[in-house]
Order: sequence, then C-alpha cells, then structure tokens
Amino acid sequence: MRYICANCGYTYDPALGDPMNDIPPGTAFADLPDNWVCPLCYADKSNFDPLD
Amino acid sequence: MKPSVASLYQAVEIAQDIPPLLIGERSNTNGSKKFRDCLLAEDFDGCLRIGLDQEVQGAQILDLCSAYAGRDETADLTRLVKLYAESVKIPIMIDSTTPNCIEACLKLYPGRCIINSINMEDGGKTLDKVCRLAKKYGAAVVALTINVKGMAMTADEKVETARQIYEQAVGKHGLRPQDILFDPLTFTIGAGDQSLLDAAIQTLEGIRRIKQELPGVFTVLGLSNISFGLPPAARKILNSVFLHEAVEQGLDAAIIDPGKILPLAQISEEDRTFCFDLIYNRGQDKEKSPLMRFIDHFAERVEVDEADESQVKRPEEELHQKIVRGDKDGIEDVLAVLLDRYPPLEIVNQILVPAMRHVGELFGKGELLLPFVLQSAEAMKKSVAWLEPHMLKVDQEEGTKVLLATVQGDVHDIGKNLVDILLSNNGYKVFNIGIKVPAETIIAKARELKVDIIGLSGLLVKSAIVMQESLPQYREAGLTMPILLGGAALTSEFVATSCVPNYDAPVVYCADAFAGLKALKEYEAGTLKATVAAPKNGQPRMKPGVKDVSIDRNHPVPEPPFLGLRHVTDIDPAKLFPYVNEQALFRGRWGYRRTASTTAEEYVELTRTKVMPLYEGLKQRALAEGLLQPKAAYGYFRCYSEGDTVFVEAGDEVMAFDFPRQSSPPHLCIADYYRSRDEGGDVAAFFVVTIGDQIAVETKRLFEADAYHDYLMLHGFSVEVTDALAEYWHEVMRRELGIAAEKPADMTGYVTQGYQGSRYGFGYPACPDLDAHKMLFKLLEPEAIGVTLTETMEMVPEVSTSAIIAHHPQAKYFAV
Repeated sequence: MRYICANCGYTYDPALGDPMNDIPPGTAFADLPDNWVCPLCYADKSNFDPLD
Repeated sequence: MKPSVASLYQAVEIAQDIPPLLIGERSNTNGSKKFRDCLLAEDFDGCLRIGLDQEVQGAQILDLCSAYAGRDETADLTRLVKLYAESVKIPIMIDSTTPNCIEACLKLYPGRCIINSINMEDGGKTLDKVCRLAKKYGAAVVALTINVKGMAMTADEKVETARQIYEQAVGKHGLRPQDILFDPLTFTIGAGDQSLLDAAIQTLEGIRRIKQELPGVFTVLGLSNISFGLPPAARKILNSVFLHEAVEQGLDAAIIDPGKILPLAQISEEDRTFCFDLIYNRGQDKEKSPLMRFIDHFAERVEVDEADESQVKRPEEELHQKIVRGDKDGIEDVLAVLLDRYPPLEIVNQILVPAMRHVGELFGKGELLLPFVLQSAEAMKKSVAWLEPHMLKVDQEEGTKVLLATVQGDVHDIGKNLVDILLSNNGYKVFNIGIKVPAETIIAKARELKVDIIGLSGLLVKSAIVMQESLPQYREAGLTMPILLGGAALTSEFVATSCVPNYDAPVVYCADAFAGLKALKEYEAGTLKATVAAPKNGQPRMKPGVKDVSIDRNHPVPEPPFLGLRHVTDIDPAKLFPYVNEQALFRGRWGYRRTASTTAEEYVELTRTKVMPLYEGLKQRALAEGLLQPKAAYGYFRCYSEGDTVFVEAGDEVMAFDFPRQSSPPHLCIADYYRSRDEGGDVAAFFVVTIGDQIAVETKRLFEADAYHDYLMLHGFSVEVTDALAEYWHEVMRRELGIAAEKPADMTGYVTQGYQGSRYGFGYPACPDLDAHKMLFKLLEPEAIGVTLTETMEMVPEVSTSAIIAHHPQAKYFAV
C-alpha cells in the first residue's frame, strides 16, 4: 500500500522504495525504520496517511 | 410451544398471528449512518438509543451489527449485545458473519437469539462453524440464498440454494427446520437495471416455493433493498406494498425500519397500482417503463419525518451530543431547558467540559479530525457565552489561568491560537497576549494576571533558541509557574537538554495543542513534570538527500533576461490555484487526514462532498473579495562561488551569502551549484513573493469572531496559496532563464522537483539562517511590495516567502 505525506504530498510507493533514504524497492511502509523521514520535507512517519 | 426467540424479559413467536415479524434494521453500522457515527464516536448510549427508538416504533426483534473496517467487531458487538440485553425488552439478532464474534455474543446473551447470517458462498465451511454454534447455543439462523456461484437471482436458484443449506443445517448439523429463516434475497427494482426487471417476481416466487418445498422453515427478507435508488417518500410506499405482497406469498419476517412502513390501507388505490406495475413488471410495452411511470407519479412526494429522534433525547444528552458533533443550531434552546434545572456553572462543569474532553479523546484516537474538533469548540464557546450572563462573577474567574504568547521575533500564531481555542473551551482561563512578545512583557503579564502556567509558542528555529535563552531571565525574575513550550522547530530532546536546566519549575514540551491540554490536566492533578530526554531507543532521524556528489562544473550558465531587480504587482491570483498543493492543504494544513477508521473510498467521499466544496468556496470568495494580492520582488545577478560563499554583484556592491555545508556525507552546500570566478562565474536569481496583507486581516478577524473552523481553513488556504505563488513565480523565472523545457505534468511533478534546478527558501533546511534576509532585502527592496522584516529577520506579512534559485540541474533539496 502506498502512503502519502500529509505535510507535502510526497507519495511513498513500496514498489519504488526511497533512494534518497537508501530504502530498496519492495520495502513496505510498515517496515521503514522509525527514524525514516519524508525525503522531501523531512516529516516523520506519523505524518503519513494510507493512500490505497 | 410455538417456535420463538426470547430476551431476558420476553419471548416472541416467529410466526406472528398477523405477519410479518418486524425486525428493526437501524442498529447497523452498514444500514444507518447515525448508528455508525455513534459507534465511531464511541457513543454507546447513542447506539442503544437507536435500538430503544425502534422498539417504541414497533420492532419486535432488533438486528444488531457493528462490522466496520478498521474497528474490532467482536469488542464492539459484545459490548452492544450486553447493553441491549439489559436495556431493550425485545430479543436481538446477531448480525455478523464471523464465527468467533458470533460465539462471543451468544455466550453473553441471556435468551434465545437469531444469528444473521449463513450462506453457501464458500461451499459451506463457515456455515458448518456457525451451525455448530447455533446448535450449541440453541439459536435460530437466517440463511441467505448465496452459493459458490454467487447470489441466487431466479426463483429456481433460490430454492435450490435453500435446499442445499437445509441439507447441511438440518441433515448434517441437526438443526430443526423451524430454526432456519431463509432469506431469498431482495434486489432493487428502483435503479433501472435491465437484468433486475423481474427481480421482485423472482423473490416473491422464491418465498412461496421455499415455504412449500421445505416445510417447517421460516422466511425473512431485507426488505428495503427493493427500492434502493429511489427518493425516500417513494421508497416508503413501495416498501410497504412489496411487504404486503411478500406476506401474501408466505413471508414470516421482515428486516425493516419499523418507523417507515405504512399499513396498506393508508396507501391509495392509485399509488398501489404504480407499485404493482413496478413490482410485477407490468406494461413494459407502454411508452414509458413501469419504473419511469412510478418515478413520475411519486416525483412530488416529500417525506415528512414525523419521528424526529431528537425528541426522545434527554436535554443533558442532547447538549453533550451537540458539543461532540459541533452542532450550534438551537443550542440555546437546550441550554434554556437545562438552566431551569441546574446552576450554570454545573452545566459547564458537568456537561460541557466533559463533552469537550470526550472530543479531545476522540481526536487522540484518530476518530475525529481537527476541523470537527474546532466545530465542537465553537459550539462550546457559544454555550458558555450564552450561560455567562447567568453566572456569578466569581464563577467566571474560576479555573486554572494560562498565559499564551508567541515569542519575540516570531509572527506565527496559528499554533498558539489553536492552543487558546482548545484550552479556553475546556474550562481554562486563557490570556492570549499575541505575537512577537518580548520576555520582559511575558514576565510582567504573568505577574500581573497571576497565571498558573505560561505557554510559549514559535514556529522558527530561531524561536527555539529564543525560548532556550530567555528561560534564565524567567528564573531570575522569580517566576515559579511551569512553562509549556510548543513549536515546529522544537523536539523533546532539545527541550529536555537545552531548556529544562535553565528554569527551576517544570519546562514541558508539547507536540501539539492536545499535548498542551494534557499538560494542563496533569498540572491540576499535581503530576506535571519537566520533559525528560526520551531514551535513545533508535538512531537519529535519517537525513535524506542525493547521494551523487560530483557536481558537473561545465553546465552552461543561462543568460538572464535582465540584471538587477524588478517588482511585479499585477499577478492574476486565479493563475496560482493550479499550483496549490491540495494534498498538503487538505491533509496537512486543514487536518482532513485519513484516519484508521476510514476506508480509501470513504476518504474520497469526504474529499468530494466536504473538502473540495470548501476549497472551491474559498477560492471564489478570495477572488471576489480581493483577498489575494500576489506580488513579486525578484532579480538576476552576476555571481561566483568561493568555498561556502556565493558572492553576488549588485551594481558596485558585492554581497557575500554564506551558506552552511552538511556535516556528514555528501557534504553539500548551496554554493556548490554556482561556478567560481575561475570557472567563469554564474547567475544567481532571488525572489521575495507575497499574497498581501488582506487575507491576513480577514484571518485575524475570523479568529477574533470565534469562527474557529473557518479561521483554520482560511489560514491554511493562505499558507498554501503563498507556496503556490512561490511555485508559480519560480516557473516564471525558469522560463525567463530559458530552462523551463522540463515542465512537470501535475502537482506531484512539482512536489518532486521535476524541473531544472531548485529553489532554496531562507529559513528552510538547506539554509536555515534567516539573517541572509538582511542582504536579500537590500538586493530586492521588497518593501515596495509591502514586505518588511521583524527584528529576528522574519518577513511580514506572514504570507510571504523568499528563495535563492539555482539553475544547475543537479541542485535539489537537501538538509544541512
């Protein structure tokens, strides 16, 4: 499931991962580390809403 | 004994002398919005009231369903079953398809109930489990005619499926025929679906044949499906006529809204004819179909809702609900009734304040969104204002006193004002002394007003430093009250390590307004403690960014359209809307987030029905009233980099913009994206943009008028339109530089910087220092477009933003 940053609108897509944070493709949002932040606005995980 | 079901209080025969047995359908999360809202608000008394109302209206059994995505069905349903078992006189029907949940309810229920429902959709696996439970606990079951191929549409399929279920339930599990109520399924004949033209006929035939071919069993229908898609007044009549026809065929029970069934005698012959034509699909050959004739005939009918449920509510509960729902309409009437019974202070303390606390709890659990909390606060404010003239002066001064201020140099007050709204509407006495307040003033006011707690707010990184550095001043002034700190740049670590040691009473970090409310409660309970650094359980926050460090030194420098500064004051505000980041506005600024209890579809619905209309309304209003006055001060300047500095040539003067460099790899610095003098120099572009003071004036007016909800909406709108202006103007400048070939297709493209280069806002992660504003203002003279600086280098009005623009394609966001 994709998640969207409520602060800036960036979408985390597990199929793509997050190269800016060295997160490989195939990583579920739930499996992102707790100290992961939005690669665009640096908001933490609690700022993300489920999208699908 | 005749087949019956029973509650603790009474037995009810399934075969009524005058059929059908009426099963109330409204205590159902999927069938009643009101019931669902009550459940989501954890208002179990409200859930019970819906059951009691149906009993009064003539229901003989109540269907009870709590299934809702994201909630714990078993926890909810067992709680409801207990409540209904005690307070409702009639028996219940457990509406669930989850065997574990069904069993938990059966165990609790002190009588014989009905299970709704079983079917053969999975070939009988679940049916086996539920039939075993029915046998074990002596329950009856509703059986839907669904098999592995799906829902039975024709009478033949309905009867065949019923027979399969009968063989399993009776033959294999030993239930008696009389323990089963077959539901041959009702499909709508009100939506014009060509495949359903004879659906009512098939269902009626199904009833007749099931009763005939499977002696001893009962039949039941979820009746109101028949008219789905039609207007309420017409539905009521069609449902009533169809029910009559079904009973004629042998229907024993109907799941309905008992308040919405009419005796056939009350329906005119003419009305009945149109219903019969539709039910029996008569006169398809006429010019208009039976459905069209039916719709035309009933087009003028309006449903008179005689059974307004609020009438049966106690005024205490009604006030509570009005606060929780943020419903201000007629709240004075309820207060007037209550004022006859209680002293005003008691109404505040016993009803209003607990209702607001409940609202806070719902928000905390993610079940209520911020805009709705603000509507509740408005209802609270209106109630207290209405009661105040009736209160003694001493009563009005009761309560813990809180001083709120945004610290020196900071103009941001949305956070502080949200705290004000929440605290003052939870029974606290709030003194909100504004923005840019120097420590000396805060100290003097705290003494003068004898406050119990101080709350300091500030958005900027600089404000966090101001808080840290002013705390010794508070200590030296001899203040002893706790101090709460809030603001975007603060963290609990920073407060614990850099602020707490500077003051003797507790210094407490509050992540949001609700944390402030919690701190106030702890203060009253005597348990408020200074923030301690969280145990280092994880690594520090990640630092996202590009990993590529070799910046191409030979990228061509674009030719600027002019050198020096320009002011533009005739920007069309309507051009900005396509650049508004709607996701950030709706979710981030406005708080319309998707909570745990909301499905993706429901969120889309919320956006479509509530949020988008709000947004469209604000856009129109902003244009009509001239609330948006976008202006830009911008310019292009020759420059060159040297180390971490970009030297900008403005006429005879050279200004040195120092930028910080990342302390960890890849050690980026904004200066890296500009060529050095040896490399031939470069072009730096800057802008200061603002949407003008007018919208800020209107925002302030809304806050002062206690229009909390509209205040938050307009404030968020103004912030995001400001960002849209920055996005728009950045694009204008890329065009002027001739580097606008890559144009993002949509907002996502802008969010992810799908264009050449980058803009770095002063005060943001790549250049957090606002002091550069001093030079920037010399370069661009934005005073001419109405933008000035505070003593801490912040721009006024708040709805302004500034940036340095890098044209280099490798330039993207990063944080130092």
